[in-house]
This record gives sequence, C-alpha cells and structure tokens, in this order.
Amino acid sequence: MNMTLQRHLVRGIGAVFGLMVIAGAAHAQECTTKIGTVLPTSVDWGRPIAETAQFAVDQVNAAGGAAGCTIEMVLRDTQVDPKVGVDAAKALVDLEGVKVLLGAVSSGVSMPILTSVTVPGGVMQMSCCSSSTAFTNLAEEGKTEGLWFRTFATTAVQSAMGAKVAQDKGYGSVAILYKNDDWGQDMARLIAADFEAVGVAVTASVAINDGQPSYRAEVTEALGTQPDALYLALYPAEGTAAVREWISLGGTQKMILANSLKSDEFRENVGLQYLGETVGTDTASPRSESADAFRTAYVERFESEPNGPGLGNSYDATMIALLAMEAAGKDATGADIAAAVSKVTDPNGTAVTADTAGFTKAKDILAGGGTVMYQGATGNVRFDANGDVSAPAVIWAFTESGTEEVEYLSLEDVDSFIASLN
Amino acid sequence: MIGTISYLVFFATTASILAIAVLGLNLQWGNTGLFNGGVVAFFGAGAYGTLILGGTPQDGHLGGYGLFYPLALLGGMIAAGLMAWVVGLLTLRLRHDYLAIATFGVAVAFENLMRNAEWLAGGAKGVRGFERPLRDALGDGFLYNIAFFFTVLIILIAVYLFLERLVASPFGRLLRAIREDEEAAASLGKTPSRIRLTAFITGSVILGLAGGLYGTFYAFVSPQDVLPTLTFQIWAMLIVGGAGNNRGAVFGAFLIWGAWTASGWALSRFAPIEAQLYTGSMQFVLIGVVIVGMLMWRPQGLLPERLVVSQRGSKE
Repeated sequence: MNMTLQRHLVRGIGAVFGLMVIAGAAHAQECTTKIGTVLPTSVDWGRPIAETAQFAVDQVNAAGGAAGCTIEMVLRDTQVDPKVGVDAAKALVDLEGVKVLLGAVSSGVSMPILTSVTVPGGVMQMSCCSSSTAFTNLAEEGKTEGLWFRTFATTAVQSAMGAKVAQDKGYGSVAILYKNDDWGQDMARLIAADFEAVGVAVTASVAINDGQPSYRAEVTEALGTQPDALYLALYPAEGTAAVREWISLGGTQKMILANSLKSDEFRENVGLQYLGETVGTDTASPRSESADAFRTAYVERFESEPNGPGLGNSYDATMIALLAMEAAGKDATGADIAAAVSKVTDPNGTAVTADTAGFTKAKDILAGGGTVMYQGATGNVRFDANGDVSAPAVIWAFTESGTEEVEYLSLEDVDSFIASLN
Repeated sequence: MIGTISYLVFFATTASILAIAVLGLNLQWGNTGLFNGGVVAFFGAGAYGTLILGGTPQDGHLGGYGLFYPLALLGGMIAAGLMAWVVGLLTLRLRHDYLAIATFGVAVAFENLMRNAEWLAGGAKGVRGFERPLRDALGDGFLYNIAFFFTVLIILIAVYLFLERLVASPFGRLLRAIREDEEAAASLGKTPSRIRLTAFITGSVILGLAGGLYGTFYAFVSPQDVLPTLTFQIWAMLIVGGAGNNRGAVFGAFLIWGAWTASGWALSRFAPIEAQLYTGSMQFVLIGVVIVGMLMWRPQGLLPERLVVSQRGSKE
C-alpha cells in the first residue's frame, strides 16, 4: 500500500516535471535573445574560453533560457586585433541587437570596445579575463557608466598569494619572470611590492616577450642574481620554454607560479619531475557544492579538468550576465541588466549553484522578488563599485593527473592578508 | 534598420581611416617604389602623438596637454614626419627588400618601445583618457559617429585630391622616373636621394594622419594597435586595389576591410554551431586565399596604374 502510494507520488512528480519541461521548452521556443561574445578564438587558449561560455549558455537554455527566451550566443573572433574586435562588437550591437557583450580577453581589445562601442551604445560589457588596472581608473572617473564588469579577480589576490608562499616557505630572495603585456607588467609591479612588504628581496625582474625561439638571455639574467626561488607570471607556451631553459641551466626547482600556468600543457611539457618543489596560486572555488558541480559538469562535457587560463572566469562571466538578464526581465536595456548584477551577486541573497538546477532556482527566487548569491567556479563573485572582484584563494601543486590543493584561504583570509601588506 | 545604418557608418569610418593610410603607402610604394615595411610605426606615431597631445592628464606617463584637437592631430602628423625624416636619412640608401627589412625593424622597435617605456606612453596599458572632440555638443551616440564619419570622409577626399594633383604634376613624374630608373633621373640633373626622402616623409605624414584619426575614433591606443598585422593589412589593401593608382588604393581599403569584417560576420551567422569556434581560423584561411589568388592572377591589382602623360609631344 505504502509502496503504491510512493510509486504514485513519484509518477505524479515525474508528470509534473515533464509538463514543466515541455512548458518550458514551448515557452522558450517563442523567442530568442541574442548575447554577443567577442573572444580570440583563433588563438590556442582563446577557444576553450569560448567553449566554456557556450557551455554556460547551454546550461541556462536547459533551464528554459533567461528572461523567458532561449539564449543564442553569437560568437565573433577578435584575432587579438583591436580593430577587428571593435568592429565585431559594433556589428553585434548594431546588427544583432545584443544588450550584453561578453569579452574580450586582451585589455588592449576590451578597452576600445568599451570606450567606442559598449558605453556609447548603452550595452553591458563583462570580460572574463581583461586585467589591466586602467579599467579601474576609468571606472573611478565614472566613464564606464556602470556598464563594465570583469570576473578576473586575480591580479591583486594573485600577487598577494605569491608573496604569502614566499614568506611561508622562507625564501629570502626571488627573481621574477613576467609576460610583457599589460597583465604581466601589472603583476610584476604588484608582486615586487608585495615581496618587499613581506621582506623578500627581489633580485631581478625580467620581461618575457611572446613567441621568441629562446629565452636564454632572459633566463641567464635572472639566474645570475642567484635567487632562492623563481616567480613566474607567464602563459603556458612561453612559460614552458623559459622554465626548460631555467632548469637546464641549473636553476632551482623552487618556483612560484601565477594561475596562468595552472595548465596540463605546462606540466606535461616541462615534466612533473622538475616541478616537485613548485607551487602555484589561484583564486579559489568556494567550499560549496556549486564549485564541485561546475567541475563535474565540465569534466562530463569536455572530458578534461577545467585547467587553463580564464575558464572559470569565462563561465562565471556568462552565468552572471544571464542571471542579470533574468533579473532585469524581458526587453531590458543594457543599463537595466548592469544594474541587476547586484541582485544576483548579493552577499545576503539566497545561495545558488552554478548549473542548470541553480539557474532554475534563481529564476524562482528572482520571480518572487528576492535576491540571490551566485556561487560560481571562481568563488562567491562580488563586484565592487568599479566592476572589479575579489575572491578566495588557493595554493596548489602539480600531481600526476592535474593539480591538488595545498592550502585554501577564504575571502576573509585573503582580505586580511592583503590588508597586512599595506 | 537604424542599427544597420549605424553599423555601416562605423564600418565606413574605419575603412576610410585605413584608406587614408593606404594612400600614404601608395605614394611611397606605388609612385616612388619605396618598400616601407614599417607602415605601422608611422601610423602609431600619429596615433600616440595625437592622444598624448590632446588627452587629459594621466598618472605615470607623458601626456595630458589637452591641446585643441586640430593642433593635436597636427602634432601627431609632425611626430610621424619627424620619425620618417630620421628613419629616412638612415635607411633610404637601401634598396627594395633591404629597405623593407630595415623599416620593418623600425616598426618592431617602435612597438617594443611603446610596450616597455611606461614613462612615455603608459607601456602595455596604453594611452587612454582622451576626450573625443565635440563630444559634449554631439553626445556619444549615432549623431557623433555620423559627424565623425563625414569629417574623416572629407579628409580622405582632400588627401586623395592632393595626391592626384601631386602625381599628375612634374614632381609626380619625377617620382615615377626615380622609381623606374634612378640613374637615368640622376643623369638628368635630379637628386634622387632628396626626392626619395621627400616622398617618404610626405607618405609617412599621411600615415600619421590616419593613425591620429584612428586614435581619436577609439579614444585609446595601446601597443596592441601597432602590431605588424596592421602593416600586412595595409599592404594587402594596396596590392589588391592596385599599386600606383590612388583610386585603387581607396577601393582596396574598402574591399579588404569589407571582406575582413564580412567574412567574420557571415561565418558567425551561417556556420553551424559546432564550427563556430573555428571561424576565427577559417577567416584567416579565407583572407589568405584571396590575397594569394590576387597575386597569382592579377598582380597589378583590381585597378592597375594608369599611364599618365603629363606633357604631350607636339605633332608636326
């Protein structure tokens, strides 16, 4: 008797669910909302970032789309060329009528898009990966009109964590190799200041230009100063080349890596046996189910761990943008959507996970007039007035199959450590 | 509808700015035979010069002189001209591919200087904080873009007319004489080295003008804007359009920039979802095929150089 009842109940719930899905699908078919994405898909590390954004869109569509419509992501390539990126953004805004633009990666592309397309056009722009401090300055001057956000939290957090590692390991001196672009230059400046603050001497700070066949001269310069350890703010291709030369010239294996080197490619190409004493830093997933959900779903979809620069950030940027679209409702303007971002990243809101179920739950809460706290792949993302984020951090090391966590620092730990540096 | 017009205006502005640059290169290569492989350095000098002179003050680097806009633009052109003068004195005795390699080196050095000298132009972060002229009066939207487009168009037409007259004048004939046979020109009492330098500087000033307009349009310039890709793009426009023909230069600029953007748009719209991620790479292949095809089947360009007879012999 009890069993039958239960079976009925299950069947009933199943039927209701089925109807909901059908209703959702039917409802979603009525309309399509386009969002624009401008990413460097013709560059090796740009493609996974775009795939991850599409992945987030697919999950939201599985929950019936946002603001009552199926979401279609229109993807354009920037070719890391500002002209091409700006033109693509303008075409998306004018021809496709998007109100939300995701991208770009390079600050040198995101910036002209912001100043000549999205701000004049009243479109919300959310970048996964642009790191230049120039955006913060622009926002402080009020020139982004609240339309600019980025989920890339890592420059300040990252450099502080690098300093913490050096301090904890007791390194007396460190040499720095950095990528010679806006991100790398910012990193090099910040980390040098942070090392100094914790009493670690910086013996050399050497710029690494992209695409050189050899970095022997740069590596020799750093090696000549005989540091206890090496700090690397590089991307996998150049990082691999530089570290190979560093090790082959007898450099120490005591290395500290920025999150850009948290990559299987780097680990395999350098060789795990040379990375025994190497640790890296990254902004961390929160201690919640959502981070695991993202990881599990990602592995299921792509059959590899989400290791690579900007993947979690890209996922979060897309999810938050779509949540904000949901919160802003149908036919919202870019400014409305931008204003709704605070409703979906509210620290006092109901926590929602980063997957289809989380999005469905958020929909209900938002429909009831509540606010939600999005728990994403890079943490409990919370934007400040300039559209910047802070995040918890993790210190990690390489293993046979990927990376493992060495230490976790909550948002409070990170903030207090950063405060202690000043 | 308004969206389409708005986009077309935006597209035409970028294309017109590039067309001005192609006209500058055409004077150097098409008419005088100077292989400038460092187009982007002079373009960049114009852009950086204009933004540094006309921008608002920024921490940590030169700039913020807030000059009246036409003066800032002129300053950018002078910066490009001065650089061309120095580079020209050093390299113009080189011929063809040697000149190309030397000027290419100058362009790479320029990019590296801008990337590394933070005190000069903000390093990799670039120069921002430039207020577009008349922004207060025209706002930030469609109206501004229309007004800016017509300004650029008028400048493009002015540059075109100036170069047409120059090419038809005895000076233009001299340029072609030097291009075809320098020794013959010298034997007639001309000084090819001076004329070559004059043509090189004039062309570079025009490139600087294009750069200044480009910087104004985006209100931002960074080392990413002065990568060798731009040199390649401007050369492709000239080769496809027709070297030695000003009309061809303008046509090539619109055609190549149109193909560049339209292929990206078409691929994003019509390619299947699974292929979307590869459209960027496919676009490179398509553009490469067009340029190789041009070079194989119509190396003189779509609008080849016309025979100019500047003085007809009298019939007896």
